[in-house]
Amino acid sequence: MQGVVIPISMVPGDSIIHRINPLPKLAWAFGVLVISFATRNPLILSTLFVVGVILILVAQVGNAYLKVAMILFPISLTLIVLQSIAPAFPKPWTPIVSVGPFTIFQEGIYSGISMLLRIFAMTTWAMLMIMTSHPSDIFTSLQKIGMPYVLNFILTMTLQLLPILQNEFAVVLNAQKSRAMKGSGFGAILPSMVPVFVGAIERVQQLSISLESRAFGSSGHKTSYRRVRMTFWDILLIVLGIVFTAGMTYWIIVDKSLDWSETMVFHPAFAIGLVVFATLGFLAFVVIALRNVLQA
Amino acid sequence: MSESKPIIEFKDVTFWYGQNETEPALKNINLTIHEGDYVALLGLNGAGKTTLQLCINGVVPNNILGNFEGQVIVDGKDTLETPVREMAKIVGMVFDNPEFQLSQMSVGEEIALGMESLGYSYEEMVETIDEVLDIVGLQGLTERSPFGLSGGQQQRLSIASALAMRPKILVMDEPTSNVDPIGKEEIFQVAYELNRKRNMTVIMAEHEVEVMAQYANLVVVMHEGEIVLQGTPEEVFSNVDLLKSLGLRMPQVAAFGNELEKLGIMTLNGHYPVKLSQAVETYGRLFEKKAG
Ligand SMILES: Nc1ncnc2c1ncn2[C@@H]1O[C@H](COP(=O)(O)OP(=O)(O)O)[C@@H](O)[C@H]1O
Ligand SMILES: [Mg+2]
Repeated sequence: MQGVVIPISMVPGDSIIHRINPLPKLAWAFGVLVISFATRNPLILSTLFVVGVILILVAQVGNAYLKVAMILFPISLTLIVLQSIAPAFPKPWTPIVSVGPFTIFQEGIYSGISMLLRIFAMTTWAMLMIMTSHPSDIFTSLQKIGMPYVLNFILTMTLQLLPILQNEFAVVLNAQKSRAMKGSGFGAILPSMVPVFVGAIERVQQLSISLESRAFGSSGHKTSYRRVRMTFWDILLIVLGIVFTAGMTYWIIVDKSLDWSETMVFHPAFAIGLVVFATLGFLAFVVIALRNVLQA
Repeated sequence: MSESKPIIEFKDVTFWYGQNETEPALKNINLTIHEGDYVALLGLNGAGKTTLQLCINGVVPNNILGNFEGQVIVDGKDTLETPVREMAKIVGMVFDNPEFQLSQMSVGEEIALGMESLGYSYEEMVETIDEVLDIVGLQGLTERSPFGLSGGQQQRLSIASALAMRPKILVMDEPTSNVDPIGKEEIFQVAYELNRKRNMTVIMAEHEVEVMAQYANLVVVMHEGEIVLQGTPEEVFSNVDLLKSLGLRMPQVAAFGNELEKLGIMTLNGHYPVKLSQAVETYGRLFEKKAG
């Protein structure tokens, strides 16, 4: 099972970025998300993406990031394929070239490229936040600004439970194998879900009794063992993040010349090349992924 | 034991899990436990041990609803009138599956969970975490993930989490049933020291009769929701036939005495040794006779 699940979690380290409070990181990741949805401009999106990658390198979490990117990239390639023949744009579309029954449109290539960049800009900044902050610190900081304690707990527990359930799933699969049942392939997955699911219910029941026995869920004042420092610089970063997001969004809305969908013209050869590359890239990924799943 | 004051009193407790259940999980339970007692709860699966233990901190019937009759008084508090979170400061609970009691990212956070809910200060939490980790022998593991620990360590972490709220009573439900032999030994040791050195009242449901005969001063035998026997280990384990009919094991040294008696080698009149030290003394007499 190991190969199938992508571990997205903190990569311990001592970089400047690791030392920043989770809230400013969250504010910037959220800001980039807002901006990415506000614009399709490839230059803005790729700038956000490149800056994100530079920060990933500064944080020295490049390896973990690459693992995620290598899965995300081929999946996002489908966007280029789909968009090029059916752009998410108001008609009329401008055809570039026809290949058999398919027509590739100018707006489609533009839209595909900007969606790909948008996904990468957003996820790079989100990864930066997740990979450089301890989950407990993220939840504790969120709790400080008003997230309910119980939600903090639910998030923490879910994060803890996922790898355990994944592990139990693998155990059940192996047990089925040893009893000469199907132990690999999709046919084995459904029957193994049942014991894992039943086990999860039992676990949650037992956990809830254990938690109640430890005064969990009391009403009244609660304190936090986890302490997250918030310095002047952290606050400044949050303010800058908000100003940057607001400023960029305003600019994007006001300046109509940022819409390059008419001006950025693609050569037919480039368009065909891109679609073919995207199709092959995605298919190769699917084949490799299926082989991994079936062998696991 | 007789000089210390009662800390837990079950008065005519009967409990049905559901309104429609005909057979109650607990039937007319009367039981008095004194401060500093080490109580062994014996009985087959389904005898009602867990249910009885859940009554001590009021999870039954306050959180697990059902049909409850009678009264349980713990440290002067009626469990029916005391919220479970209040009881957490008096009664610590440890359950059989170590992993199913853990939820946090680090050992420190796991122990802090209850204290956070009760609004303890940060300094108090840090101090308490160090103290309870020391008691259970997990010093220095504050930052580790609970799920990376061995079963025995996890179970000791559960004990530490319960101890953080400074309870007077520690209730343990088959704490060693999912733990390897070394882990078992460590858990018994921690419970023993809490009882002897800190005068903590321990109530343990456990299948290891030898260990219970060694440590407990009160043995309670349950069967189908009822208490069928209670007394010192020596008293309880003299009831060979009854225990056998209930399908329960005797400590091996006592079973040995019973066999010797049947073979006519020794007359013990039911006073079987239950601990190893007693066995050495009692059976040693056989060899003295031979030698003399
Ligand atoms: N949550 C529950 N709902 C309904 N019945 C239960 C529940 N828990 C236990 N019982 C029943 O109550 C009886 C006593 O169970 P329990 O206290 O768990 O015994 P023990 O711990 O000695 O194995 C059993 O007959 C069991 O089936
Ligand atoms: Mg039980």
